[in-house]
Amino acid sequence: MKKSSQANEAAMVTASPGIPSAIWRNLAYRPRATKLPKGLDAAWNAAVSMGVPFAPRRRRFMQRAEQVVALADNYKDLSDDRLRGQCADMRDLFRLGRQTDDDLIRAFAIVREVAKRQMGMTPHPVQVAAAMAIESGCIAEMVTGEGKTLSATMPATIAGWRGRGCHIITINDYLAARDAEWMSPIYQFCGLRVASVTSQMQSDDRRRGYDADITYTTNKEVTADLLRDRLVLGQKASLPNVLLGRLVDGVSGGTERLVMRGLEYAIIDEADSVLIDEAVTPLIISGGGGNDEQIEAYEQAAGLAKEMEVSRDYEINRRFREIKFTNVGRQHLAELTQKMSGLWAGARRREELVNQALTARDLYEIDKQYVIQEGKIVIVDEFTGRLMPDRTWRDGLHQAVEAKEHLEVTPPKDTLARISFQRFFRLYRRLSGMTGTAIEAQHELWQVYRLPVVVIQTHRPCIRQQEPDRVYATADHKWRAIVSRIKQTHDTGRPILVGTRSVGASELLSGLLHKERLDHQVLNAVRHAEEADIIAGAGQVGRITVATNMAGRGTDIKLGEGVAAKGGLQVLATERHESGRIDRQLFGRAARQGDPGGAVAYSSLEDELVQRYTSRWRRLRVLHKAKGEGPLEDSQPRRLSDQAQNRASRITFRQRKAVLKADDWLDEFLGFAGAEH
Amino acid sequence: MTVDRPTFSESWYRVTAMRPRLRSTVQTYRQHYRGQMWHVLRDPSNNQFFRLNDAAYHFVGLLDGQRMVQDAWEICNRDLGDDAPTQVEVVQLLGQLYTSNLLAAELPADAAGMFDRYKKRVRREVGGYFKNLLFIRVPLIDPDVFLDRWVRVFGLAFTKIGFVAWIILIGIGFWSLSGQAANLTRQAGQVLDPDNLIFLYLSFAFIKVFHEFGHGFACKKFGRDTQSGGEVHTMGIMFLVFMPVPYVDASSSWALRSKWQRITIAAAGIYIELAVAAIAAVVWSRTSEGTAIHAMAHNMMLIASVSTLVFNGNPLLRFDAYYMLSDALEIPNLAQRSKEYIYYLVKRYAYKVERARTPAHTEGERYWLVSYGLASSIYRVFISVRILLFVADKLFFVGALLAISALFAWVIMPLGKWMNYLATSPDLMRSRSRAVGLTGGAFVVFFVGIGLIPVDEHDRAEAVVEPRQMAIVFMREDGFIQSTLASDTHVEPGDHALVVATNPALEAERDQKVAELAWFEVQQREALANEDTAIVQVLNNAIQYQKYDLKDIEERIATLNLRAPIVGQWIAPNIEYMQGAFLRRGDQVDKAGLVADLDSLFIRAVADQELGPRIKTEVGEDSVVEIRVKGRPDLMFYGKIRAVNPAGQERLPSQALGYAVGGTVQTAMDDPEGTRTAEQFFEVHIDRLEDDEGRVPPLFSGQRVMVRFKLPSRPLAAQWWHQIRQLVQRRFFM
Repeated sequence: MKKSSQANEAAMVTASPGIPSAIWRNLAYRPRATKLPKGLDAAWNAAVSMGVPFAPRRRRFMQRAEQVVALADNYKDLSDDRLRGQCADMRDLFRLGRQTDDDLIRAFAIVREVAKRQMGMTPHPVQVAAAMAIESGCIAEMVTGEGKTLSATMPATIAGWRGRGCHIITINDYLAARDAEWMSPIYQFCGLRVASVTSQMQSDDRRRGYDADITYTTNKEVTADLLRDRLVLGQKASLPNVLLGRLVDGVSGGTERLVMRGLEYAIIDEADSVLIDEAVTPLIISGGGGNDEQIEAYEQAAGLAKEMEVSRDYEINRRFREIKFTNVGRQHLAELTQKMSGLWAGARRREELVNQALTARDLYEIDKQYVIQEGKIVIVDEFTGRLMPDRTWRDGLHQAVEAKEHLEVTPPKDTLARISFQRFFRLYRRLSGMTGTAIEAQHELWQVYRLPVVVIQTHRPCIRQQEPDRVYATADHKWRAIVSRIKQTHDTGRPILVGTRSVGASELLSGLLHKERLDHQVLNAVRHAEEADIIAGAGQVGRITVATNMAGRGTDIKLGEGVAAKGGLQVLATERHESGRIDRQLFGRAARQGDPGGAVAYSSLEDELVQRYTSRWRRLRVLHKAKGEGPLEDSQPRRLSDQAQNRASRITFRQRKAVLKADDWLDEFLGFAGAEH
Repeated sequence: MTVDRPTFSESWYRVTAMRPRLRSTVQTYRQHYRGQMWHVLRDPSNNQFFRLNDAAYHFVGLLDGQRMVQDAWEICNRDLGDDAPTQVEVVQLLGQLYTSNLLAAELPADAAGMFDRYKKRVRREVGGYFKNLLFIRVPLIDPDVFLDRWVRVFGLAFTKIGFVAWIILIGIGFWSLSGQAANLTRQAGQVLDPDNLIFLYLSFAFIKVFHEFGHGFACKKFGRDTQSGGEVHTMGIMFLVFMPVPYVDASSSWALRSKWQRITIAAAGIYIELAVAAIAAVVWSRTSEGTAIHAMAHNMMLIASVSTLVFNGNPLLRFDAYYMLSDALEIPNLAQRSKEYIYYLVKRYAYKVERARTPAHTEGERYWLVSYGLASSIYRVFISVRILLFVADKLFFVGALLAISALFAWVIMPLGKWMNYLATSPDLMRSRSRAVGLTGGAFVVFFVGIGLIPVDEHDRAEAVVEPRQMAIVFMREDGFIQSTLASDTHVEPGDHALVVATNPALEAERDQKVAELAWFEVQQREALANEDTAIVQVLNNAIQYQKYDLKDIEERIATLNLRAPIVGQWIAPNIEYMQGAFLRRGDQVDKAGLVADLDSLFIRAVADQELGPRIKTEVGEDSVVEIRVKGRPDLMFYGKIRAVNPAGQERLPSQALGYAVGGTVQTAMDDPEGTRTAEQFFEVHIDRLEDDEGRVPPLFSGQRVMVRFKLPSRPLAAQWWHQIRQLVQRRFFM
């Protein structure tokens, strides 16, 4: 009797009961993302997504948060050891899945107490409510600076206790490492191991990272690790094969090289950015490939492009960023390549190459779509203005741009494995997230990921002064108005943060400010850590910071001394963005946590957003009211931007859905090649 | 970047290292269509076909299970240059082959995927039933073994000798009909008599069995001759508008290289039926009228010749002639592709979708695709509406069910798909507003057209021609008929009698009165002589009475000679049989003995409860109407409404209008005479109008005509709505 119970205990230690092994989880259950509904199902899905926001979620979470707070007294006076003991009890309870709703509330209260003791920070009721929302599989929308990182510790601890792993996904290595480090006292107290996985790590470290109870990592790392694991396993490895191999000769079919132990639960920080803005970005694992002939071809194509003349040989469609040959152009190209051989012999390939060269030349501009760093093309994310050093354009466009800039042409690589973030995150068994701005995307988050959005109120009321948009007839007028506004505000000593949409725009503004002898800092194309430092310092007296919209996301701007009295940080947006969320993120940098602050957007009818997404006719109707250089005094021009934004969001949502559908189609049709990833 | 066929595909990595090949059982056949080479892959396990163009086949041919997709693709590029399939096309091709179960890869088959596809297929088939309740197919047997056994014998029909024999047989058939034309047409008029319908159907089903075996044997024969299969594995019953008829799946004719053989297979059914018709013609001409075999032979002759040519010979329906046309034009899948081509035209030219790819492979195909697409869709709508109305009229609930399913399949689903396309298709990324605007505009034009623009509306009512003046001739005194005037003579009141009758009792009474009178006169004379004045007085009175009586009797005798009450035609078709008959006073002389004024005819129309009030209020008296004679579509006259007598009438003016004898007015089931209508009707009296040259329409009394009323113009939508309501009402409120 006694012996057997000891044996049981031993088993508990080696393999936690109720939790399948990593091999089993990787092989027996190959997660397949559910397909997007079709036909009437899709209509129903869309209809349901209209109703989802009406569920009284926030009230429920706030009530529970109050219950959690009410329990604080029970734990206040416990000794650390007793508290640890309580944690261990909870751990058993959750691992076996025997918890009740009340247990959950007690567990939250315990973690809250731990946070207070270890970090000196007691989560506010709103933070607890956010944690509740995350725990029940929602996206918690919390204004930046309200302490999302702390909120996430509660559901993460519980997931850690469950023992199946918990990934906290952040948007960059810096944040992953910082948050893991920062929050580790809480987890350690609760008996959990915490680790981070960042891009520089080797696979042993990664494996250790994923083995931890709670893993802080980035969306890129976790996705790439999944793909690499899949490549290691190959398509033929099956659970019986691997298990038999291990039994018979101890060979485990590559399973010892796996780094992950299954996709169980993820909490995504900046969920909108990961799940929406970067949703269709594919993560690609590539191998070697390409040959000299191909590389030469790109250079030749760049040369041939010089012979082509716009409107005679080809037409440019800027709206859709396309080059179209005319018949004359085709003939001209055929004549030019008459004496060339190889790739140039066939019309299709030839036209494709020159088309790319022309696209690179006429539609891709340096500092707008890309920058050159250390002799390499670095793509600028047009959506966020951020540099994307790992990304390359596909189908030879990247090489065409390199050839255009007379850089060394990197050979195109062969894709080995590939998955888009939106598909990847749908593979998790449980998913939740938090962000500053999600409500604009709530339908998409529900329809694609089945994630409801819960807006959590702020701890202290927000006293930001949001001025109405200023809309100018021309970009020129707009920039002049911006500069004079900066000057005016700067004179009062208030710090100013100017958000631009592109690297080019920030450079333009920087030039204008130089002329006015205004000292300022420009933030683009730097490493994330320094970026965060600059942003963190943007709240000092008299500081002018020009930054692309997304720079330093996740970092608070703390107000310098005396700044609050002067009115706090003033945020200027120099252009409305395609997505209202990104505008809101920029505005949200001012007036945090009850501080004073102001925000205003400047835009013009020549802005790309308005140009692309509204009809010329509507613009003309607005334009005829323009008088002189002043802003257009009417609600109509402002509505124009809103409409353009709506339209842009709709279009991009549709595109993302189309990508997902195309992926589903491929899965179905390429079943013989095994599932993707 | 706009390149028509981009070389690279993002998904290429998924197939690049695969070493797939066609499954070992897959058979391939070469075929030429419109001068282009095609390769047909056949999966013998389910008899499905897959068509590849030359370049695609070149690529597929390189896949031998050893070579990687990447290598095969590179070889293709080297061999074919620009024509080589691009990566995108290869991925698509492999996917399609795989989902058609034609591809084997080294990976174990994706069982879940296969089940998924199977489920999807079943769901599609079941859905197809519901979408097409009018053409449900139920596969029953596999006739392959039977066909194999007998093809040596029956296959001879499709040889040259067989063809010559067929020609001779048809010749004999025609020859045996010579000189029987009148007979033939007379009997043809009786084919749709209710008591013949069941025989008609039996003959139909019987012939169709031959028809289907015709296809089966032809397919088998040519398949054997050319060593290319010719397997026929499915035979079953198709419910064609709920009528069970046999069908056979001869799709393995696809594998035949010669288009003439394929056409022959498609034509085999008609070929056999015509032979059956010829045999039936011989039997018909050799048997005497009235026998069952004669009637059956007539039915079969008609069905196997006329109906099959009309039905199977119509390429717009997807029966034999369609496949013949499709093969003759060398456009496989004609119906499907013409539909796609029309979609393409709309996308390309109306919606300006630049990426729309034409489904036409050659220039010449286009015209065929357009014209076939338009003709068949118009015809389909027309025939569907006709069938629906027919079914709804006979079986209301089934009809309603069908109408709903048809509404779904033909209106709501395609519209939904269209809307979805307009709203979400990436094709329209650039021209969505244009596409939506144009489509919306077209819809507005359509709905304004049917909803607002008034269109002439007509309705018709059955009518009978009657003389305006007519007098029925009754016996005014009991009597034995002595002599009669022949029927159809013109009579006038002063003329001699129509009917001369005698009544011996009356005559005896008269004689008695005469005798009595004589006696009284004798007595009177005696009394005068005796100067007995009192008695004379009495006798005078008596004589007076006797004279009165006598006069009365004589008058009664005189009325035994019936004279024409009015000027007109004496009509008593059976009068000659009445000779010597005894008729009582008040009896009609003949069942229909009457004098009618045939020069002043009028038309009595029977309008139902729906039409009647509208004629009274919306058309009104003195309006001109069209009159058409039944059975003579070439004749048309005009008339003018004289009066509309309101509802309350239940007795039809003529049996001829009633349902029982082929009229259109429903009569009460329990009425033996067939003149009491099921519902009360309005009677409309119409006078004939002279035409421009002053001629009076040559109508005859008793003739059945149709009167066409022109109702006030209303938009089509209102007219249709009204008609649907009528249809429903008629079912629920009767």
